[in-house]
Amino acid sequence: MESPSRTFFWQLTGLIFVVFMTAPLVLVVLFSFTGGDIAAFPIPSLSLRWWQALFAKPEFYEALRNSAIIGLSVSAISTTVGTVTALGMMKLSERAAAFVTFLLGLPLLLPALVLAVSLLSFFIAIGLKLGLFTVILSHLLFTLPFVVMIIFSRLRTFDLSVIESARDLGASPMRAFWTVTLPILTPTLIGAALIALSLSIDDLIITFFTGSGAATLPTLVWSMIRTNLTPATNALGTLLLAVTLGGTLIAMRLTRFRG
Amino acid sequence: MKASRRPDGLVIRDGAMRIRGQWSVAWMMTPVAIIFTLLFILPSLNYFVLSFWRVAAFRVVPDFSFANYARALGQHLPVLLYTFKLALLTAVTTTVLGFLLAYVIRFRAGRLAPFLLLVTLLTLFGGYLMKVYAWKTILGNEGVINTALLGLGLIDQPITSLFYSPGAVVVTLVHFLLPFAVLPIFSSLRGVEEAEIESARDLGASGWRVVSDILVPRCQTGILAAFSLCFLAAVGDYVTPAIVGGTISMFGRIIESQFGQAFNAPLGAALSFVMLFASALVLITAGLLLRLWRPR
Repeated sequence: MESPSRTFFWQLTGLIFVVFMTAPLVLVVLFSFTGGDIAAFPIPSLSLRWWQALFAKPEFYEALRNSAIIGLSVSAISTTVGTVTALGMMKLSERAAAFVTFLLGLPLLLPALVLAVSLLSFFIAIGLKLGLFTVILSHLLFTLPFVVMIIFSRLRTFDLSVIESARDLGASPMRAFWTVTLPILTPTLIGAALIALSLSIDDLIITFFTGSGAATLPTLVWSMIRTNLTPATNALGTLLLAVTLGGTLIAMRLTRFRG
Repeated sequence: MKASRRPDGLVIRDGAMRIRGQWSVAWMMTPVAIIFTLLFILPSLNYFVLSFWRVAAFRVVPDFSFANYARALGQHLPVLLYTFKLALLTAVTTTVLGFLLAYVIRFRAGRLAPFLLLVTLLTLFGGYLMKVYAWKTILGNEGVINTALLGLGLIDQPITSLFYSPGAVVVTLVHFLLPFAVLPIFSSLRGVEEAEIESARDLGASGWRVVSDILVPRCQTGILAAFSLCFLAAVGDYVTPAIVGGTISMFGRIIESQFGQAFNAPLGAALSFVMLFASALVLITAGLLLRLWRPR
């Protein structure tokens, strides 16, 4: 058995990690409620003035709308394609399935900037007009690997005999899919969709290059950081964090996906 | 990796499904194959071809010249080396810390483990830009650290070197990349049983021996994955140096500017391939070094 002091040491290491990871984000949230003029200590009073300043910006609503369109489309497309892919991978050999996972993961290994500018150059080369559509296409590249991984790892622990039973009882493959497979998979699919949504909403670099100036929440933060730095940036950042971290948190509960 | 092995029964049923199933595998893999080809393979090939083209009178024109590569290696080599130095520092720090945390979560944290894992996953999926921005409010002249030190009377002037410095870039990158390092190492550590460590300890192995002779060799894949992810992300990042790095020039910023003010996409493409090729050399070296790590 370990001595209590050693246990304390390890738990302290864990807690330092938690503080290191979360404290900077907590500060961002805290400063969004400052009554002062800058995002810094001391905080003279708590107020909602920077939130009001944010909600008074017309750019904010445009960014919110674009982010919603992109995020929801990316989430829907990647979950649909991801489900079909993961079901297909179940019919492959273990080796072939691992190879597909590896291939899909390749874009994640590249720096986001390289991915972004190569997509930009390609869209220009084939004459595709840059805008929300090209952003949605580009996001699929980094949301699909996660979605496929999450659904596939759930399918592997899936008791296939229930589908067999449905088929033995005369259900068509389509009917078996809609009445048996899909209901069992639903929590995982919602989880995967939320992860895709979080990843898409959070992306700055690929959106910035492939969207040709289309404002989204992160590109608005980016321009706010570079021009007038007020705690309104913190308010917008807090909102962004709430969506991405909230989405991930719910997804974690639903999928029991652990890396 | 235990859970990944399918029981034999499932594989047999799988075969039965294949005979019965009317949806062929090829059909089901078509959408993802189209997306992958259109959005990854073709753009990458196009980008490679572009790196041999040139810009004339503000237009990109086809060519077959190595001029962009010559310029990338000549003019921009010092920045590449500097960027690699920072990225190496970032990747080594993150991998070591990631290993420590993965070890704590796997073996030492007890009831705290699920919570630590949740924090890791949460900070993995969101808040990239906010993390970088947060360090600006921590390290800046009016930032948390300087305000606290001034308030305590320890300094009279803000420490300006905290911010807009290579140190600020590395700290920010480590903070952002740490979850990416913890997870692959943690999933390798899941294959190591607690009993193995216990027995090594019972036979008199020190803590360091356990790490160097059991854990590191068993986690080679995870360690290399963590290192590669962190190194490549750090090498290509331009947002972090732009926000907390001040005038520090990093390679990503030079690439980025070719698609903006500098307007030289072919040079940007050549710079990207030089960066990727040089990174591959670093990663291969790291892999070989890790292979040489043998238990004594």
